[in-house]
Amino acid sequence: MPSTQTPPIAGTAIDPPGVRPAIDDAAIEVVTPQTLHARCEALRAGGYAMLLDLGAVDYLGREPRFEVVYHLLKMPNLRVRLRCGVKDGEHVPTVSDIWKNADWAEREVFDLFGIVFDGHPDLRRIQMPHDWEGHPLRKDYPLRGPARERSPRPAFGLKSNVQAGTPPTGRTLEALQEQVKKAREQ
Amino acid sequence: MSLSPTPLTPEIVSHEGNAMVLSMGPQHPSTHGVLQIMLEIEGESVIKAEPEIGYLHTGIEKNMENLFWSHGQTNAERMDYLAPSSNALCYVLAVEQLLGITGEIPERAKHIRVLNAELTRIASHCVWLGTHAIDLGAISVFFYCFDLRENILDLQEAAGGARMHPNYLRVGGVNGDLPAGYLERVDALISKFPGRMKELRGLLQANPIFQDRTIDVGILSADEATQWGVTGPALRGSGVAYDVRKAFPYSGYEQYTFDVPTRTEGDAYARFLVRLDEMEESIKIVAQAREKLRTAGPYAIDDPKIFAPPKETIALSMEALIHHFKIVSESFRVPPGDVYQSVEGPRGELGYYIVSNGENRPYRVRTRPASLYNLQALKGIAPGNLIADLVVMIGSLDPVFGEVDR
Repeated sequence: MPSTQTPPIAGTAIDPPGVRPAIDDAAIEVVTPQTLHARCEALRAGGYAMLLDLGAVDYLGREPRFEVVYHLLKMPNLRVRLRCGVKDGEHVPTVSDIWKNADWAEREVFDLFGIVFDGHPDLRRIQMPHDWEGHPLRKDYPLRGPARERSPRPAFGLKSNVQAGTPPTGRTLEALQEQVKKAREQ
Repeated sequence: MSLSPTPLTPEIVSHEGNAMVLSMGPQHPSTHGVLQIMLEIEGESVIKAEPEIGYLHTGIEKNMENLFWSHGQTNAERMDYLAPSSNALCYVLAVEQLLGITGEIPERAKHIRVLNAELTRIASHCVWLGTHAIDLGAISVFFYCFDLRENILDLQEAAGGARMHPNYLRVGGVNGDLPAGYLERVDALISKFPGRMKELRGLLQANPIFQDRTIDVGILSADEATQWGVTGPALRGSGVAYDVRKAFPYSGYEQYTFDVPTRTEGDAYARFLVRLDEMEESIKIVAQAREKLRTAGPYAIDDPKIFAPPKETIALSMEALIHHFKIVSESFRVPPGDVYQSVEGPRGELGYYIVSNGENRPYRVRTRPASLYNLQALKGIAPGNLIADLVVMIGSLDPVFGEVDR
């Protein structure tokens, strides 16, 4: 069962103004993979010392398909959000040389969306198993896997144990009743 | 993709000379869940540490994309399972921003939320302190901490119906008013708290063994902490007074007076002191919220299309029945847009970046997990220290793996 959601905004623009309600949470800038690194360096030099978060969104059916979103913080209370549209298969330059914590965040985006970050020191899966196929947070990733056969489970029932050759305890119902009777008499 | 997956073997850490590669975890008792650290060691000194996470990955973000908006906070609470109300608070605030109803939330609901968020912070710090002390060999602290936490879990149960995951906060308000006698129990907690804190401080703060194990261990400079995206008590232990409650006030925090405790040493002991001070600041906020809750009032917005009418009314009113049915069966719709909302969770800045496409379920929910970024700093502070100190560092960064792996 693949995801059936439609992307938020029809058309090709990343974020047409007007579709978004007036929320004062951050200043928004739109960048491209080509201008991203230079812009990040400029912002870092301008006091945006902390990369709060780095995540991605898959707008399947729209061009560019992906969007990598950077949340930057300048102490004490200025936030900037960089929205970087990324085409399917396009690479994005890493910002882990600017902010150290981009390391794991970019690995997670690579793992769950399959977006490759050029220049990343150690780009491999982080959340999913290392031999996993596919990128689960993509919108075309199936929500359910193929039906699989039940793996055989070890039998825990008494009957199966007997069948498996477990030696019988030798305690019959009659023997138990005898034991109870004796205990009562004493 | 073109990159071949790297198998998880000791060779992923490059090693030369006399170094040896040791896998610590994922079943190590001091790793607070399921953390594996690939260590390159020489003797007992760590040369390189590479944490391997993902053992608890359950795809909560993917799940949330396919559940109603009203189911979101239930899932959010499962991420940082030690601080359920902080997570729920962040989620409902973000959704309210998108709905454009932030200004309409009644004062009483805001104060109840603050009360819950601060109580959950104290409960979370109790678990941190107890387990941190156990890691260092002090067993009895754990029982003192869990006794205090038990009082808070009882309060959560009284308000929300469940101890660990109360799911009490809802988009538009809270799920029902506080039960009778609740505030008196909060009073009892407030009066019990100073004595308990004195005991906890007495057990650890001047304890020479505890000081030996934590002072000058895992030093994180202010600059380095910022570089690694460390937030919360770990950042404030390094001397940066960044607190989301002060920087970006939410849910009426601007009406409360409290200090942001900071230390400049940046070691594990500084982080310990900051958290203890923070618990005392939290109980101050709880006391203020309790005062503000003396006046009765509505506990949710008066918009039946977003907040379902009380269950009792559905037998009396046809409209209430219809609204209730609509909310339960297909939730509400949220206008298209995106928002980043953050709160100060017990571990640091907890954020949600939510994209809506106008449907009755979120298009994308991205969590900013404070634990993930705090834990990542281990790569920076572990080299050059002993393996035994690594246990102290993990404990002092206080990661919760439900949130790291999601």
